[in-house]
Amino acid sequence: MRCRVVHLVAAFLPVFFLAGCDKGAPPAAPAAKPLRILSLTPNITEILFAMGLGDKVVGRSTYCNYPAEAAALPAVGDTMQVGLEKIIRLEPTIAFMVTRRDDVPKRLEGLGIRTVKLQSDRMDQALESIRTIGRETGRPEAAQALIDRIETDLAAVRRRVAGLPCPKVLFAFPMTVGSSRIMVAGRGTFVDELLTTAGAENAYPEKADWPTVGPQQVIAMAPDVVIINATGEDAPPDRVEAIRQAWQSLTSVPAVARGRVHILTETFLTIPGPRVGLAARLLAATIHPELRPEPGASGAGWHGHASEPAAEAAGDAQCESLPPLPRRARIALSGCEGGRP
Amino acid sequence: MTPRPFTVGGYVLSIATWLSLWFGVAVVAVVVGGRLWAWDTRLQMENVLWLRLEWVATASVVGAALALAGLAFQALLRNPLAEPYILGVSGGAALAFILSSLFLSATLAPVFGFVGALATVAIVYAIAQRRGRLEPYTLLLTGVIINAFYAAAIMLVTVLVRPEQRGDIAVWMMGNIGAFGPQWGLVKVVGGLAAGAAILFALLAKGFNLVAVGEDTAGALGVPVERLRIITFVVASLVTGASVALVGPIGFVGLICPHLLRMILGPDHRRLVPAAFFFGATFLVLADLLACLWEGASDRALPVGVLTAMCGVPFFIYLLRMRWRRSAEIR
Repeated sequence: MRCRVVHLVAAFLPVFFLAGCDKGAPPAAPAAKPLRILSLTPNITEILFAMGLGDKVVGRSTYCNYPAEAAALPAVGDTMQVGLEKIIRLEPTIAFMVTRRDDVPKRLEGLGIRTVKLQSDRMDQALESIRTIGRETGRPEAAQALIDRIETDLAAVRRRVAGLPCPKVLFAFPMTVGSSRIMVAGRGTFVDELLTTAGAENAYPEKADWPTVGPQQVIAMAPDVVIINATGEDAPPDRVEAIRQAWQSLTSVPAVARGRVHILTETFLTIPGPRVGLAARLLAATIHPELRPEPGASGAGWHGHASEPAAEAAGDAQCESLPPLPRRARIALSGCEGGRP
Repeated sequence: MTPRPFTVGGYVLSIATWLSLWFGVAVVAVVVGGRLWAWDTRLQMENVLWLRLEWVATASVVGAALALAGLAFQALLRNPLAEPYILGVSGGAALAFILSSLFLSATLAPVFGFVGALATVAIVYAIAQRRGRLEPYTLLLTGVIINAFYAAAIMLVTVLVRPEQRGDIAVWMMGNIGAFGPQWGLVKVVGGLAAGAAILFALLAKGFNLVAVGEDTAGALGVPVERLRIITFVVASLVTGASVALVGPIGFVGLICPHLLRMILGPDHRRLVPAAFFFGATFLVLADLLACLWEGASDRALPVGVLTAMCGVPFFIYLLRMRWRRSAEIR
């Protein structure tokens, strides 16, 4: 059973196939209570699974739905509304959460659950969180391996975009019904760091934590590329089309004039977890179309293999440490250029 | 104030006056709200011009529609508190719109907004009528109760959805002019409905006047009171539902505008209907301009629904007190 779980984890995150094998032997569990982990934040759940701790996680928040095994675990609410009875029933020994609140951690501590508050607004905080999780669960090597992998991934993206022109990119969420303003990534956010890694300059000029802007401000910012992250109810094709239409009227924005408004439906772009390398790579490929592989090129390219979804293709030896971009990403990318598929 | 005699020339002149007031305010709102002189390129200026034109058009049609609906409800219920919001019509439209955009289809949400408004009027009417007759106060109370139910239902939806969506619903419920993308289609629909309602109500204005004197009097003078009521309710709900679908529930326009106009023009609905159409439009354009200037100065969006409520209430109280004082002096 454990082997199977390890296998599934490995299917999503190939690098940990090896890590999982290293840990194939039963962990040298001292006389202490067996580890039962509660994760109240999606990126922490992802990190735990990526560290090979998936089989120790007993509960999750309502919003933790990746990887698939995590979605199968019992949900206990979120950091705003915790289901205390459910938590007590799961008997966790340790709880991880990203929160600025004090009351929930105190409450859980009061129930005898070791509770660790983490931060992940910036990349360095996310990496520090991984280190903390490793320390708290007695798996510092797994934590370090994950950190190394993320840093390798990001460095690979940085190398790819080195020397390329640095366009002004606006990263935004779709418009919401009844509001004239859209939420964009301000400078200093985690997504702003990803944009920099992907070889772009954030079009939003100020340090701010997800500000909202109206169309007049977008016109004034004049971004060269616009990336819209349409997830959840914005992901269906009719909504994506509506978002595209909404932007078409802003003809003075260079991104609109040059057909560089890209709508990405991936959910992981804004999650400071193990998939940040994938996010940076997708952003880089979106921002710099010149990075996409030549039609006849074979081997390890930006796209990996054309037909298989990410989960199945992850074991592919030809890939770098990153799995290929999910199929939807490729469709979104090829749709925006009008040129080659 | 002694009522002036009602003539065709006076009618046309008053329409022209209200129209030019609206036009002046609208031009200022487009130019000042968009800071049209401050853009680098001509293309940018054109983009902003169209954006402002659309938002001013949105504010105009919604203001006109809500003022007319409020005027009609107040006339027929002979109750100064009657308003699309108090009667639950806006709540019904809002709930249907939210449910549709969250769980069915965002594209069809405006249609469900209409349906919600109409269904609400049907429900309120069915509960409040007794043997085909409507008691104004029963109707009003039924509206209040239905409204409470809708408010609870919207809260329930708010709890059930993801936290990101909670903010969206909350912002939408405040009432905002303008969307990120153009919505000319919906603006035209609401504008057409509002204009149609204005013409219809202008034709029915004499009936409104007689009902205001007393239903029995009106009935005795040959006004088909119940039919007038049903037609008016359906039309007023339709324009309210359309407005809610376009901008969310914006309050107080339907309460303030007709009352202000009554204080200026007196109780004659032949004058009030065209005045409400244009003044409602002017009022909301002005409110939107203020919201826009605030947004430019502070970089924070100010929902126009919040502004209409916050500016409308003190103004209304002031005018009410002034009128009382004046009538006391006359006595």
